[in-house]
Amino acid sequence: MAVISNTLIAGFNDPVQDAQQVFRAALKAMSEPGTLMACSFTKEAPEGLDNSSWQLALTLFDADTKVWLSPALAQNDAVISNLRFHCQCPLIDNTAEADFALCNADELPFLADFNWGNAEYPDQSTSLIVQVPAISDEPFWTLTGPGIETQRSLRIAGLPEHFRADLIRSRQRFPLGIDTFYCCGDQLVALPRTTQIEEAC
Amino acid sequence: MNAATATGYNFAYLDEQSKRMIRRAILKGVAIPGYQVPFGGREMPLPHGWGTGGMQVTASVIGEADRLKVIDQGADDTTNAVSIRRFFASTAGVETTEQTADATLIQTRHRIPERALQENQILIYQVPIPEPLRFIEPRESETRKMHALSEYGAMQVKLYEDVARFGHIATSYDYPVMVNGRYMMDPSPIPKFDNPKMDMMPALQLFGAGFEKRIYAVPPYTKVESLDFDDYPFEVQSWEENCSICGSNHSFLDEVIIDDAGSKMFVCSDTDYCRERVAQQENPA
Repeated sequence: MAVISNTLIAGFNDPVQDAQQVFRAALKAMSEPGTLMACSFTKEAPEGLDNSSWQLALTLFDADTKVWLSPALAQNDAVISNLRFHCQCPLIDNTAEADFALCNADELPFLADFNWGNAEYPDQSTSLIVQVPAISDEPFWTLTGPGIETQRSLRIAGLPEHFRADLIRSRQRFPLGIDTFYCCGDQLVALPRTTQIEEAC
Repeated sequence: MNAATATGYNFAYLDEQSKRMIRRAILKGVAIPGYQVPFGGREMPLPHGWGTGGMQVTASVIGEADRLKVIDQGADDTTNAVSIRRFFASTAGVETTEQTADATLIQTRHRIPERALQENQILIYQVPIPEPLRFIEPRESETRKMHALSEYGAMQVKLYEDVARFGHIATSYDYPVMVNGRYMMDPSPIPKFDNPKMDMMPALQLFGAGFEKRIYAVPPYTKVESLDFDDYPFEVQSWEENCSICGSNHSFLDEVIIDDAGSKMFVCSDTDYCRERVAQQENPA
């Protein structure tokens, strides 16, 4: 599918400095799991993308990263045209080959369908960016692990039950695992594979 | 922020595509503490072995709001530290500082500052040989498997050989650690005196090896244990002397020969820490 030019929007105002600041937010989110970050370096995102997931895409995607989009995003001309134009990332159909997967929460495939890397190279796994309806630090999940001094609480709305259960269980397969970003509006939070999750009943 | 003085280069020298690739590697490194992530190391305008790995990490992380400190063996005023600090001052125009407490980014060769680092600071190590098992097993394909299987017995044997030959663990720098109970990691050639500072450090620690093209990381508040035996527990160096300048009896000391007759003095290796103590003694607040 070609790029449809009337759906294109502007990316970062200052691609060098803005990408650096979004990366630092992503780095802080990933190194201090459960910490809510805010990124507002773009005025608008393509219809269908949250502002924070759009900024992550502009910061991390390029011609070297294979990206899988969940079905509603993959059929959205604004999303694919802007990703192709701004990031030049190849868009692929197979989750198991993805370097990044950009998903709506209600369309999440099974966690096992992504690329998990292998024991020698666990870094080759898919990084998952999930767009969710709401993120807050209300107690629902209790997080522990590297990057967390004692514990942190986090609530992410809209994740399917199979995904939550698989994510919690996947911690047993460390060092294999899927690192996840969750995006809602300008908000951004990350859970790397090292974060242990305890779910309140 | 000062204006970048070097023209014709991107901000902080590296092009954006290289930065993106390194940034993705850093995020993976943080997600798998202690695991060595391969990356496409770039040519930097100074030779390998002068901190090109640390510089590539710094170039990918640094922004206009950062204040950069660079140390070489603890000192701010040695050739390597001065040239790397000037490099980023001219290509990125960032503020630089010699004060540990003021810095947001600290690039280091072979020391961790004496002053405890804080949350929101990032410590970037220059690493010559990232693989702790390399001198035991030269093949990368084998060391990869050893890490995959947590097969670390060979390193315990190496430390045991120290005990058998010298009566104590004689490894004094580059002392292997276990990160988060899973990956064996080379802390870069810091003295083992600094190893305990890595454990549960509030600052983020990033490691860059330019020649070997590896990046690894330790997130804040992560368990880092030095290897040892129950009957030969891990110990750090201590000195009978005090620092000749500030009188410190608890910092890492350098032995300096001061004349042809072999007279010597001991001084703090961390120049900023020493300066801070002298200033305090002169003007007690």
